[in-house]
Amino acid sequence: MSDIVVLGRTADGLVAAHLLARRGHRVTLIGAESLPDRMSGWVPSELAQDLGMSELAIARPEPWLRAPLGEGGVLELSSEMARSVASIRRISPRDAEAWPRFCERMARLARLLEEIYLAPPPGLIDLRFALRVRRLGRQAMEDLMRLLPMPAAELLDDWFESDALKGALGALAVRHLQQGPRSAGTAFRLLHYHVGAPPGVFRAPSTDLPRALHARPGITLREATAARIAVQAGEVTGVVLIDGQEIRAQSVLSTLDPRRTLEQLVEPGTLDPDLRHALRHIRSRGVVARFALALDEPPDWETLTLAPSLDYVERAYDDVKYGRASARPWLDLLANGKMVDVHMQYAPHGRAAEECIAQLVAPHLPAVWRCAPLPPPAEWPDGQPHHAELSLDQAMWMRPLPELARYRTPIGGLWLGGPAMHPGIPGICGYNCAREIARA
Amino acid sequence: MKRYDAIIVGGGHNGLACAAYLARAGRKVLVLERRERVGGAAMTEEVFPGFRFSVFSYVVSLLRPEIIRELELPRHGLHILPLESTLTPLPDGNYLAQWSDHDQNRRELARHSVRDAEAYDEFGLLLHRMARAIKPLLGVAPPDPGSLDPRELLDLWRLGRYFRGLPEKDLHALWKLLTMSAADYLDEWFEGEALKGTKSASGIIGTLLGPRSPGTAYVLLHHYMGELDGVFRAWGFARGGNGSVSAAIAAAAQAHGAEIRTQASVSKVLVNGSRATAVVLDGGDELRAPIIVSGADPRRTFLGLVGEERLPAEFASAIRRYRFRGSSAKVNLALAEPPRFTCMPEPGPHLRGAISISPSVDYLERAYDDAKYGEISRRPYMDIILPSMLDPTMAPPGKHVMSIFVQYAPYHLNGGWSDARREELGDTVVDTLTEYAPNLKGAILHRQVVTPADIERIVGLSEGNIFQGELTLQQMFFLRPAPAWARYRTPIHGLYQCGAGTHPGGGVMGAAGRNAAMEILGARA
Repeated sequence: MSDIVVLGRTADGLVAAHLLARRGHRVTLIGAESLPDRMSGWVPSELAQDLGMSELAIARPEPWLRAPLGEGGVLELSSEMARSVASIRRISPRDAEAWPRFCERMARLARLLEEIYLAPPPGLIDLRFALRVRRLGRQAMEDLMRLLPMPAAELLDDWFESDALKGALGALAVRHLQQGPRSAGTAFRLLHYHVGAPPGVFRAPSTDLPRALHARPGITLREATAARIAVQAGEVTGVVLIDGQEIRAQSVLSTLDPRRTLEQLVEPGTLDPDLRHALRHIRSRGVVARFALALDEPPDWETLTLAPSLDYVERAYDDVKYGRASARPWLDLLANGKMVDVHMQYAPHGRAAEECIAQLVAPHLPAVWRCAPLPPPAEWPDGQPHHAELSLDQAMWMRPLPELARYRTPIGGLWLGGPAMHPGIPGICGYNCAREIARA
Repeated sequence: MKRYDAIIVGGGHNGLACAAYLARAGRKVLVLERRERVGGAAMTEEVFPGFRFSVFSYVVSLLRPEIIRELELPRHGLHILPLESTLTPLPDGNYLAQWSDHDQNRRELARHSVRDAEAYDEFGLLLHRMARAIKPLLGVAPPDPGSLDPRELLDLWRLGRYFRGLPEKDLHALWKLLTMSAADYLDEWFEGEALKGTKSASGIIGTLLGPRSPGTAYVLLHHYMGELDGVFRAWGFARGGNGSVSAAIAAAAQAHGAEIRTQASVSKVLVNGSRATAVVLDGGDELRAPIIVSGADPRRTFLGLVGEERLPAEFASAIRRYRFRGSSAKVNLALAEPPRFTCMPEPGPHLRGAISISPSVDYLERAYDDAKYGEISRRPYMDIILPSMLDPTMAPPGKHVMSIFVQYAPYHLNGGWSDARREELGDTVVDTLTEYAPNLKGAILHRQVVTPADIERIVGLSEGNIFQGELTLQQMFFLRPAPAWARYRTPIHGLYQCGAGTHPGGGVMGAAGRNAAMEILGARA
């Protein structure tokens, strides 16, 4: 039994705090963040079990993807294979035939990722990992080797011909990433969002995990901001709050972004200069502008993805390469009653880009609506929710840096468990980290 | 009828290298070349009277030193002249020059950025270490990670052991190089736009990717690979053009007893059951041999010479989706006088090195943006050398030849390639270059423009890809050209591949030809 401070009232922070408390530690959760009730991301059943939660409300729009077609009509992808196939058949019989096979092969790879995501990342040369990959069988192994480094566009072009299908899937693959669907390593992202989902669904669900955990006793919650992490002789001794109060602890688990944790909260000079140098090169560029639309009437759809083709998405990306917001961005809309959340990509962080919204969404909404920008939460560095962009060079054993990938830091008792860590799914990073602490 | 142990289809430098190694091991070998002379894309031609060009490829940087040594290529006429510098002229009249002399180079880099000058050596050391780590892989046949064959498992185990022996830090650095974009990677080291532009340019050669596309950082390594070997520094130019590389390898092959037949176009590989038995020439002649080795690219070999119906379905579909997407063109100029660059107008040592039109990463990325949607780059990247400055026999006295590698000129051009589009490309190149060297336009005596469509038509490289298929991560090592078939063998018994479409890929390296021969001979390289 020890004293542990968890930094950040985030999904990761809550999961970690509750897990450690259930393992008998005295846990203080420090954070002033205002956490929404719901979050997007897979919640594995192991995690729910470990936290003793059976009442979790998991929701996913059904159909999970709706893409309006240029010639009228709409493409709908559902968790029911037959419905998706029927919808695809209206635009391309060939693609309709390929869809179940594609889904089956992707699902097999996602099962592997699910295993890998619930543990610290494997090493780059890891015999057990290699054997596990081999056990998938030849076809799945070859699929994995080819798919990981591939552009999403190339994967989709291999399987499908329809622009509407490829455009929407390609757009979802590059969510929150400063890359286009033609960039290498983006096919893997399609798989990433598939993890934990039924075959044929490439969108993470939303759950009320934060609300469920908030309602639970067992941990001490301090609505405060940490000023610094106290370190003596290379070991953590506690956390000092802004008001000067020190909370002593043998371990500190930070879910804040690694740069903030290690560069701002830890006294300068504690860390090796090589690590500080590497920290500065973690890429965390925000590329999404978010808006809330208020409607008078709820729309007759739950979700709408406006990304008519791979070229459309790629052209939207071209703008952000040169620091501009996309002239014609791709949009993903999620309706919740009369409120609609708009995900607009690409817009460099801090660059408002409202003008084009009206023109793009107007055909799909009733005449009257109001639009308000949703600024990214303060804990997203540069507006990047993953804290470290989820690209192949910052995934698994590289996440966020090889020397930090196993949730430990060079400072004894200081752990990292935020979205910048493997696997980059909110909740699971904190879960994996807390289990490592419990094991240590 | 004469009997052969092996027939090599295609007399490119890889086919010739394979033939030379087989002949050296005592096999009776016949090389069949469709054109009137050997060399494939590595050849020199007198395109205009008195002016000789390496029409397609143009520099040597990667030719394996063991091949030079084992085949005694210098004795057979190979002489490599080093390219000692790279000049990057800038639009504002300034320039960035990279010299082989360390101090001179450092002073020049510091003129642009002191920080870059300081980081440069450390960067070089790191890349050297990475190149050294990768180098042993160039000479091995990639094992099949899905196989249960004891020999394959042993090779896999060896490979694993090799990597486990590397410091973990180096492994992670290598992974970064494999997965990052050249631009992101260089951003971690340098701030100077011209330096980053010029360095990242080496990452995009031969692919339809831009410097901001992940996967392009890896190719930076290749520039350091040649330097490592101590045979010659960085990029070099073969005296007499790149044709003399092929000629030297051909001479070595013949010295070992190989027979080379030109103007012998193979139309078909005959397959009996699942075994290759013979090749059929255009005239209908059949030539038999127990071993047939194709130096042609995977598409031509399997979908052309063998025929899809003879192949296992999974393999055929892997070959069909293997990507070529040629993106580079060549412009060869005959000049009445050397170019006078605004930034360095007087003739000097910079004309004996490479000249790179790559003023910034954004410049290259914009060039890529055009090509991504099927257009010729309005402002292309160019890598230029003046062979006649190094080897006066390439041009009449006082005159010069200029070899311009141009990117991007996409094979899949909107509307397709035509004579008009070819000239449009030539004009774009000359106009762009004239902005940096105003006398150029007036000095041109002749101009030859070679588009990817021309490369495909003349040399037979599918989609004009100079590497016989893009060198991207999903087409490398044990995935090149198809999973399970990266060991130069094919699903057809007795049929092997030895071209750049196999590991380790293109770049006038010769490694694929040598590795294939080793595999055929059952020898460990």
